[in-house]
Parts: sequence; C-alpha cells; structure tokens
Amino acid sequence: MRRWYVIAAPYIWLLLFFLIPFFIVFKISLSDSTRAIPPYIPTLDITGGWDAIKTYVSQLDFENYAFIFSDPLYINAYWSSIKIAGISTILTLLIGYPIAYGMARAPHEWRATLMMLVILPFWTSFLIRVYAWIGILKKEGLLNLFLMNMGVISEPLTIMNTNIAVYIGIVYSYLPFMILPLYSSLEKISPSLIEAAEDLGSPPWRAFWQITFPLSLAGVFAGCLLVFIPAVGEFVIPDLLGGSETLMIGKTLWSEFFNNSDWPVASAVAVVLLLVLIIPIMFFQRMQANEREAAR
Amino acid sequence: MQGPAPSSNATDAHFNLTSGGATPPQSQTRSGPRTFAPQSGFAPWKNPIKPPIVRFENVTKRFGDFVAVNNCTLDIYEREFFALLGPSGCGKSTLLRMLAGFERPTEGRIIVEGQDITDLPPYERPVNMMFQSYALFPHMTVESNIGFGLRQEGMAKSEIDIRVDQAMAMVELMPFAKRKPNQLSGGQQQRVALARAIAKKPRIMLLDEPLGALDKRLRGQAQFELMRIQESTGTTFIIVTHDQEEAMTVSSRIAVMDKGIIAQVATPGDIYEYPGSRYVANFIGDVNILEGKVSAVSDGVIDIAWADGPGTFKTRSAENVTVGQQVWLALRPEKMRITHDKPEQSENAISGKVDDVGYLGSISHYHVRVANGQRVTALRANSAQSFERAITWEDQVWLQWPADTGVVLTK
Repeated sequence: MRRWYVIAAPYIWLLLFFLIPFFIVFKISLSDSTRAIPPYIPTLDITGGWDAIKTYVSQLDFENYAFIFSDPLYINAYWSSIKIAGISTILTLLIGYPIAYGMARAPHEWRATLMMLVILPFWTSFLIRVYAWIGILKKEGLLNLFLMNMGVISEPLTIMNTNIAVYIGIVYSYLPFMILPLYSSLEKISPSLIEAAEDLGSPPWRAFWQITFPLSLAGVFAGCLLVFIPAVGEFVIPDLLGGSETLMIGKTLWSEFFNNSDWPVASAVAVVLLLVLIIPIMFFQRMQANEREAAR
Repeated sequence: MQGPAPSSNATDAHFNLTSGGATPPQSQTRSGPRTFAPQSGFAPWKNPIKPPIVRFENVTKRFGDFVAVNNCTLDIYEREFFALLGPSGCGKSTLLRMLAGFERPTEGRIIVEGQDITDLPPYERPVNMMFQSYALFPHMTVESNIGFGLRQEGMAKSEIDIRVDQAMAMVELMPFAKRKPNQLSGGQQQRVALARAIAKKPRIMLLDEPLGALDKRLRGQAQFELMRIQESTGTTFIIVTHDQEEAMTVSSRIAVMDKGIIAQVATPGDIYEYPGSRYVANFIGDVNILEGKVSAVSDGVIDIAWADGPGTFKTRSAENVTVGQQVWLALRPEKMRITHDKPEQSENAISGKVDDVGYLGSISHYHVRVANGQRVTALRANSAQSFERAITWEDQVWLQWPADTGVVLTK
C-alpha cells in the first residue's frame, strides 16, 4: 500500500501541475474571443448540470487552429523560432563540448571549481544578464569600442537588434545547460578506453571520434534538448536583443495575449508550440530507451 | 615410521590416488604442452649473441618526487613469457606502461628490436596491451571490438573478417560475436580483451594484471589458455602480476620488483630455489629465514653460527662471504623434515615445540617455535591416511635439513 503512494506521487504532481493547466489552456484555445472578463466565450456554468455541459461543449470549435494555420505569420514565427533555436543549439554544442571535455579531463581537484564557474552566472538574475549584453553589443557598446580602439574596424558593427544578437544571447544564457550533461557523460568515460584505442593504433583525433564522441552521445542529446526546447519558446532574449525582423513564437504569443487580448488564439499558439516541442522530447526518450535496451 | 617419503607405507594404488587428487593442477601446468619449460632448453638469455626483443636501458620514471621506476635495465627475449612481479606500487605497471607508450621515461631508453621507441606514441608501437580493466569499448559488439585495431590499419574488410574470426575462434567467443561487452560474463570479457590485442598480431603482447578480476578457478583455466595462445602464436608476452603463483605458472622468466628496483631476474625454478635476497625469498613462496654470522668457510661449505639459538648450520654454497659476516639462511618449509626423535645423523637440526598445525588435506603445515621464540614452518605431505604417531600441538620435535637445501643470503 505504501509503495502505491510512492508510485502515485509523480503522477499526482504531473496531473496537478501539467495536465490540469494544459487542459485549461486547451479549453480556452477552443473558445472565441470577446470583450469581457474573462475575455472569451463560452464559459462553463457547472450549476446548469448535464445540459449546460452539453451546450458548452457544442459551442467549442477548432476555429483558432484553422486561423493559425491559414495565416502565414504564425507558420513563419514557428519556423523562424525552430530555425533560431536550432542554430543556437548547434552553436552552443560547438562551444560547450570543448569546455565540457576540458573539464572532464582536468585534474580531479580542479573539477569542483570549474563546475562552480559554469554555474556561477545563475546567481545573477537572468534579466540583468541579458540587459548587460545590450551594453556590450549596442553601437557605442563595449564590443564596438574595443574593436575600434584595436583598429580592427573603423565603423561600428550593427549587432544589436539583429538575429546575431539573439544567437549570442541564447548561446550565452543556455551554455551551462549544454555543458552540465556533456560533462557528466564525458566524465564517465574511462581514460583506459582512450589508451586502449591508441594502443590499437588509433591516433588521438581518430580515437576521439571513434570512442569519446559516440560514448558522449547521450550527453549531446540531453544538452541539445535542454537548450533547444526553452530556446524555441524564448521571449525575453528576442524581445530585448532582437530586432523587428526577429520573428519568434514567444514574442507572437506575448503580443496576442497582452496586446490583442486574444486569449483563445494565444492559447492555440501555446498548444501548437507544446506539440512542436513534445515531438523532439519523445524522440529523445525513444533514443534513451533504445540505448538502455542495447546496454542490457 | 614417520618418513616423509610418499610411498614408504602406502600401496601403489593408494599413492596414485592421493597424488592424483592433490596435485593435478601443478603437474598439468608444469609438464603440459610447453615447449620451453625451464628444463627444455629454451634459454635465449643465456646466449650472449642473441639480441633481446625488448631492452630497458637505465630507465627511470618519476612522478613529482615519487620514483616509480629507478634506473632499471632489463632484457627480454623473443618468444619469452616474461613476468614482472611485485607488490602494488613497486613500479611493475609503470614499466609496462612505458613500454606501451602511455608514460614517457624520465631518464633512459626503451629499445624494441634494435629501434629506440622511447619517443614513439602508443599508436605507432609494435606492442599491444591487454588492460587490467579490459577497457572494452562499450558501444561496440564483441566482433567490432576485436576488429578495432585492424580497422585502424586500413585493412580490407574481408581480411579483417578473417582475422577477427580467427581471434574469436582462438578464445572460443564465436557464439558471442554480436553481443555488447556488458552482456558478457567476466571471463568472456577477459577473452575479448585478449582476442582484441592478439588480433593485431603484435610483436610483443603486454598483459597488465590480465586475470586479476577472475575468481580462482577461472584464473587457473585462463592461465593455461594464455600459455596455449602464447605458444601457438609465438608472440613475446610480458605480464604484470602481483600473484606469485601466476607468475611461476605461466612465465619463462620472472623479474621480481621492489620499490622501483628490479630485485632479481631468473626462471621460476631458479627464483624459488636460489633467491638472491630475503625480499625475493619472502615474496616467492613461504620461507624460513634464520639469521647468523659466518663462522667458517671451507670447500664450498659455509658454517653459520645461529644468532638466536645454539647451533651451527652447514650450507653448501658458492656465495662469496667472509668469516664474521652477517648472513641469513633461507630454508623452504617443504625441505625441512620434522620428526619426534632427534635425528641420528643430520648436518643441520634444531629442536622446538609445535605451536600450530595446519591440515590442508594433501599436506600439513607445522609451525614450530624454536629458540628465542622464532617460528619455523615445516611442511609434510600426508602420504598416509593415518600416522601412528601423528605430530600434534605442543609436541617436542626436531627439524632437520641437509646442507644442500638452504640458501645463504647476504642481503
């Protein structure tokens, strides 16, 4: 009996904090926008009994979804979000892998300190760190001043309010989420495996691709998902660092919700976003399951 | 009546029964299909013209202040099964890792087949190593683990398949070709590690505690398998082990190491019968050490006045000693005869009281407290099922040994 409680705990958690909120958002997405409080109809009156529920359900429709898919604005926003998140994820991987590798190969007594340095930025507010990048990237910012004083450039670079600024912001903000899973999978690889590969005639670079990299794949996938999923729905970074051409679904959702007060369309955008993100998560879980299967 | 001669009071059938039950592993490994058991005449180290396949030349390795290997010079010859033996931390693994190329000597040179390989990276050396942890690649099947080394050479796929199959057949891994390492038992993993290294057909095969993770029974089989493969491939094997029985069983010669120094290099028989120091005598098998001073040297016989009790021991020895020098007499327990009665005529005898008896079935150990409280161990084969006057606790006994069984040690 006690075991049943333990097993049930995570399911109750999921029900309370994931399924019920999702169901509420989903319900709103099937409603119609109106000028009222709350700004959507129909609203359910439980006191009306079975008939009231029936009338309520009959008034729900998938109109908002049809609208989203008919307007290229939304499709473009999804597509652009996935593209920006994808490119950022690859950049984060390229920067994070050598760092994680270096940490995993560092002497034991250094590793805790290095780990500390990776986590350190989290101790400052995320918002403040993104604002700080404005100071660095703007036309008369630190980066341009530095490059011009060094004589590398004569005209200030326009980085602020472009997609490049968004990439920089995402890579910077999510780098620890890439490094930590990579580090944990790289650290588990026994150095004797690399020695064995070299002993069998494989130079270090080939040994890396044949042994180290394949054995770190679980960390690569985990890190990529941890960066990609929040990056797709990212709102703060494109809003503060991006320009007018930066189209991301988080921004679209925000403006539907707060500027247009169109809760039903905003909810539909959120539900579709969730579906878009669930696909890579399920893909990842199947990968892991296959891996466990193979490991058995 | 109490003679230790095995057949003195037993019928032939009885004798066969006891010896057959008690000693097969030893007789099997000692006189098995070995072409160069110590008595067979394989002794390239005695040939002054024969160049060694491996030469460590004044090799020293320091890790910070710690000297792991201290000025070692060692020659190993082709087709040898050479053992580096010593307790943990004695430098034996470091010596092997320097040969594999994982560590660079701080001083000295390593020469393989006349070529100085001190500065060659591991992937360019004609040696392959079997790791203590096996170091099997967990994401590859047995097959592709074994083929890994061959793929690095850019060998044709068909050729690789043939070589992999040969290697798998050699260690009977065929049914497990498609499995991943973690789907194998410890013994199977050990064989994959062996096959992976041997598939490269190295000139020299290095084995770092290759059987350390196996249980005792499996280890015996694996030792035999190693010897069979070493012989059938004609490869030079260098094994690192802390297990003296393993070293004695498999190797043609043993280097006993102590704190980074090679204490002695000799065949298993020589190292057991003629240890060069108390350290070696103690490390290989059981030994009784009696301390004393040389009282006379004449005609190849050294007289030692026992320091701890009354008596002078005569030992036939060519050891160069002077009268008055402090020496130690090493005596193997099985060469000491234990009796109740004082021997009529024996070159050496001491008396004592039985402190402890260890009955092991085939043999018994007798721990005898002699003068000054020192404990001396004697060993006797239980050649009869019962003795009329069995030696037991608290018995007053005599230990005797002939002059040609002890070894006089000066260090």
